[in-house]
Amino acid sequence: MKKLSEEGSPYEIDRMIHEPARLLITAHLYVVESADYVFLMQNTGLTWGNLSSHLSKLEAAGYVVITKEFVQKKPHTMVHLTEQGRAAFDAYRGQMKSLFDDLPMG
Amino acid sequence: MGSRSMLKQIEKRAWLRTFEHGLWDLGIGSVFLMFGLSIVTNFPPLSAIWVASFYPALRQTGRKLVVPRVGQAEFRGRRKRALANTTWILAAVALIGVVTFGFMFWQSSSDTPIWAEWISRHFVIFLGLIWGGALAVSGWILILPRLYVYGALMFGFLFATDFLDGYHLGHSLTVFGSLIMLTGVVLLLRFIRRYPKQDLSTVENHEETE
Repeated sequence: MKKLSEEGSPYEIDRMIHEPARLLITAHLYVVESADYVFLMQNTGLTWGNLSSHLSKLEAAGYVVITKEFVQKKPHTMVHLTEQGRAAFDAYRGQMKSLFDDLPMG
Repeated sequence: MGSRSMLKQIEKRAWLRTFEHGLWDLGIGSVFLMFGLSIVTNFPPLSAIWVASFYPALRQTGRKLVVPRVGQAEFRGRRKRALANTTWILAAVALIGVVTFGFMFWQSSSDTPIWAEWISRHFVIFLGLIWGGALAVSGWILILPRLYVYGALMFGFLFATDFLDGYHLGHSLTVFGSLIMLTGVVLLLRFIRRYPKQDLSTVENHEETE
């Protein structure tokens, strides 16, 4: 039986997305064009520290872009999923679907 | 539940959360309230003055009360189109009101043809159908069932105005607009209580120092 982490395996799972908090973040960013920190905190239920740490990892992987701007002299941060992030999320969805669809009935 | 339907749920929940604040209700209600007050006071410019001063204030309220509580998101595809379409529909509602009242003033101030008299005798029902329909269509586009109720109420109010003696269009619109605005105020108060303000400056400044 192939291991999940084996290179080239059809079941190799993108661990950057697979982590539950990051999965929630990418799922929310997938359905919108862009969102700010407060929107993501409210909709994912993550604390600011958690959110910030996971977004940094997603940014480092090239999955999200974090844009800082000033609105009425106050800093405001918007986040959006990159094309690479969107493609990775699509691939993850496909993998999970095929993984569970292939399971024999117990 | 499949992954697509889960994503749909996530998107729908996030979308509906952006309408919990009641500012749309305040905006819609104010249009009808001002049409009503314009007729009651016989001072048509009142609507224009109100729109020019109330809508920037409403926008500012959104920035001050809503964004720090539930944040801000730009939606994709059909949601983006839904917002644009609803804005056009509500702009058309306001325009129809202006044209109708212009027609009323013209009809009451000059010798008018028979067709104009016939329309003017029953225009309140047509107005109720058009405005009520526009509200219901907006509710369908935005997935906001309370707009169906507003549409039905609007038609009911104007139907009663046309058929029952002693009812006046200005009073009907004033009461209808006030009811919607009152709903908006209740929703806004509930929203403020449900979602405490996030200290954005702390969050953003902390982020700056990272």
